[in-house]
Amino acid sequence: MSAVNNLNITERVYEPEKVKTKSIPAVTELVTSRLVMLVALGMGTFLRIWQINAMGYNTDEAVYSGQAAAIAHIAGLKDIFPIFRAHPLLFQSMLSLVYRIEFSDLAGRILSVLFGLATILVVYKIGQLLYGRLPGALAALLLALMPYHVIVTRQVLLDGPMTFFATLTLYMLARYGRFRQPGWLYAAGACMGLTVLTKETSIVLLGGIFVFLALAPEVHTRIRDLLLSVFFMLLVFAPYPISIILAGNSSTGHNYLVWQLFRRPNHPWTFYFEVVPPAVGILVLVVAVVGLYMLRREHYWREKLLVAWIVVPLVFFEIWPVKGFQYLLPIAPALALLAGRALGIWIQRASNKRFVSPFKTIFNHQATYWMMTGAVVFSLGFSSWQRIQPETSTEFLAGTGGVPGGREAGLWIESNVPISAKFMTIGPSMANIIQFYGERPAYGLAISPNPLHRNPSYDPIVNPDAQIRNSEIQYLVWDSFSANRSSFFSDKLMGYVNKYNGRVVHTESITIKDQAGNPIVKPVIIIYEVYP
Amino acid sequence: MIRRVFSATIIAFLLVGAPLFPAYAASSPADHQPTTPIQHLIVLMQENHSFDNYFGTYPGADGLDLNTQMPVDPNNPAAGYVTPWHIGNASITDISHSASTFRDQYNNGKMDGFVAALNTRNQDGKLAMGYYDDADLPYYWNLADNYVLFDRFFSSAKDGSSPNHMYWVAGQSPVPPKDVELAQVLADVPTIFDELQAAGISWKFYVQNYDPTITYRNLGVVGNRASQVIWVPLLNFDRFIDDPILSSHIVDLSQYYIDLQNDNLPAVSYIVPSGASEHPPSSLMSGQRFVKSVLQELMRSSAWDSSAFLLSYDDWGGWYDHVVPPQIDDFGYGPRVPAILVSPYAKTGYIDNTELDFTSILKFIEQNWNIAPLAQRDANANNFLSALDFSQEPRLPTFLPLTRITPPVAKNDPSSLIYMGYGAAVGVFVLTIGVTNFRFQRDKKRKLREMLEE
Repeated sequence: MSAVNNLNITERVYEPEKVKTKSIPAVTELVTSRLVMLVALGMGTFLRIWQINAMGYNTDEAVYSGQAAAIAHIAGLKDIFPIFRAHPLLFQSMLSLVYRIEFSDLAGRILSVLFGLATILVVYKIGQLLYGRLPGALAALLLALMPYHVIVTRQVLLDGPMTFFATLTLYMLARYGRFRQPGWLYAAGACMGLTVLTKETSIVLLGGIFVFLALAPEVHTRIRDLLLSVFFMLLVFAPYPISIILAGNSSTGHNYLVWQLFRRPNHPWTFYFEVVPPAVGILVLVVAVVGLYMLRREHYWREKLLVAWIVVPLVFFEIWPVKGFQYLLPIAPALALLAGRALGIWIQRASNKRFVSPFKTIFNHQATYWMMTGAVVFSLGFSSWQRIQPETSTEFLAGTGGVPGGREAGLWIESNVPISAKFMTIGPSMANIIQFYGERPAYGLAISPNPLHRNPSYDPIVNPDAQIRNSEIQYLVWDSFSANRSSFFSDKLMGYVNKYNGRVVHTESITIKDQAGNPIVKPVIIIYEVYP
Repeated sequence: MIRRVFSATIIAFLLVGAPLFPAYAASSPADHQPTTPIQHLIVLMQENHSFDNYFGTYPGADGLDLNTQMPVDPNNPAAGYVTPWHIGNASITDISHSASTFRDQYNNGKMDGFVAALNTRNQDGKLAMGYYDDADLPYYWNLADNYVLFDRFFSSAKDGSSPNHMYWVAGQSPVPPKDVELAQVLADVPTIFDELQAAGISWKFYVQNYDPTITYRNLGVVGNRASQVIWVPLLNFDRFIDDPILSSHIVDLSQYYIDLQNDNLPAVSYIVPSGASEHPPSSLMSGQRFVKSVLQELMRSSAWDSSAFLLSYDDWGGWYDHVVPPQIDDFGYGPRVPAILVSPYAKTGYIDNTELDFTSILKFIEQNWNIAPLAQRDANANNFLSALDFSQEPRLPTFLPLTRITPPVAKNDPSSLIYMGYGAAVGVFVLTIGVTNFRFQRDKKRKLREMLEE
């Protein structure tokens, strides 16, 4: 017995006696898990970068990149995008460093992909720490192929980096649970600070941590250590409020929070149940839940940690009126870990001759579980592959990808339209895209002049009719994505087009299939010049 | 013999008379291709302001000394002085700006009669020393910031609107002998439009609220619309009134917008206002709105890339200007007037000191389209090519607002704040992890050592 193995035994001093997962020979497990990790990173990278820049930014990407460009003093954008808007700026400030070297939409997305790949590695480390190499590698593979994580980390969104820091927090907690050194709890607090510093909604994960610590008395957490951990979190988070106050924008975040608290729901309560399971993978959810049930006798603080990490945000965002596709992304690594755990343990158990399956037949063979794993992996990979194909729809769900024609329309504006020309769009989404690529100010007609009914990050058009009449707004942009969301404002905008002699100066179209399956070209963005 | 005399007469007419009647001279369009990238020149003439009155406080320009003491009576220093004052929203009137007013204000080059000249004409002499700044003229100052401001652009005649407008189109302002009508004299005076017509170069004279029935022939019955005849000097020429081909080039300003939309802007466009002329005491803002609309439509047309737009003012309007106007002949120059050039080839934020006047516009046309000078003045005038840089790529136009664009007030750069703050946050995190891991590894080694010792 080597000293290292002896050491491993000492590290496992807090493990429950009955957990016996080491059935595969260590060398085989090492090779297998490394192969799985190789596939995970290879496939994960491929799915995240394949045709990554086929379409331009969507509205959220445009905003975050615009903020980063403003921090990096990119000419043409620094005066259009305010630095301080709704969210903290950790990711944007990192992106700004990239932009100082290479300013392009591709560079922004690559940074996001790097965060995604780093998350896969952290998941592996957590799985390895909690359940061994193979479950860790399988969990990493599931996350690498998971459409939910693939789609979001292909975009310049805060949720990908936030999920990375959240997963890193989870890793610190796992180390704390495993080694019971308070330092890891402090590190978890500091890491949680970075998570919140990336996107403030992740504060809800703090609830998950508290629930975990409350439900896991075996971890024996002292109040003093918990308070110190919270102190570290606040210390790391402090630059956000301090920088806002010092920069003289003290009301920015406050206004946004108030608006979020009192705005009307943007999706029905069934939203997450409809969009998240297919994105996470139905089989992943089934395996995770069945695994939790089947292996219930082995539940310890590890499962409490993962389940609390999932349930608390799920309940919170289900109750929270504002819903977004990517809001639940931080729970994806935990789901992958639970599924990877189940598959990994089953594979290990099947190789153990002492293990007797209740079914005694096919479930007693390792190959069965590998096939099961293969099925889950294939379903995820296939689904991701389908979802990363260039969009051919005239409708759009925020957070799911780029907007067809948006970049092209913006670049046309940047090259052909007078500097400082002002644009009116149906809603703020297209306005953001026009601003980023076109480098011209754009305002959404749908933004309410009533401050109680609008996102405080946006400026409304006060009396649009007068502004067009006085040539303060010279271009109007109709787009099918916004029109599908609000026919009222689409009609209103077209009313101005007709009233003020609108003339089409540019059109972006996509090819879609009609009901008979024939390809037809459909305009998705039309730019009008108005002549009052 | 008769045939010989007839032939000689024809030849003599072609040699001598053709320059006077260029519309009938033969010319090939190939001879008149633009010699610069400028294929469209648009000139807009506003009314009655001196350079110091509009841009006297513009940074970097040859402007006002705000400590100037203008004597109330140049012959009696004890009568006191008037210093330049900001007009802002103060009430003003149309102050005298005739040839005799200029003579008194000029006072043999001493330039000390601006107040006295008005006082002797029963007007408030203090008015002459008033000036505007960027708060009153945000759009024009924005234009100057982004394009070219001329600070030695003189009115051609030391007189009012009529002669200056005449210089604008003909390079001279003939004074008819007693008992001879001006129109009779003008019959022999070629204009730039005659030259353009003869050369086959497109041109139009756009008039805001144009009424074709108002000409010099019915000035007495048109009331306050008589200014149309002054501001459109062609309406004093019989041939531009009666010849359907020539008169068809004088059109309402609405045609300008149609021409821009139809990619049909002529090579040379002259534009005059109607109500939005800024002629005191009318609104400066309405004038700026008018200029903005004219310019903005040009900017978003296909003509922009090959255009030059020159805004100028027909005379000094009686306002103070500190620069002594060079007297190049008996008629001028008059005081400086504001002038701004906007073009995709214009230098950015450039103040051009070239000595120019309205005949410099003719000079540009003549040089750009290879046309002979009309008169001595335009032949000798300077061009404004120094304001253009044809080595640069045509600039995208800039829509400028009617509010002043001011440099942002210097304050803490949020970028530095963000980098420092967020960098510190990452630093705290790394330190926490580092310390924890260090202690973890130390404990691990210690346990390992203990085990090995056992």
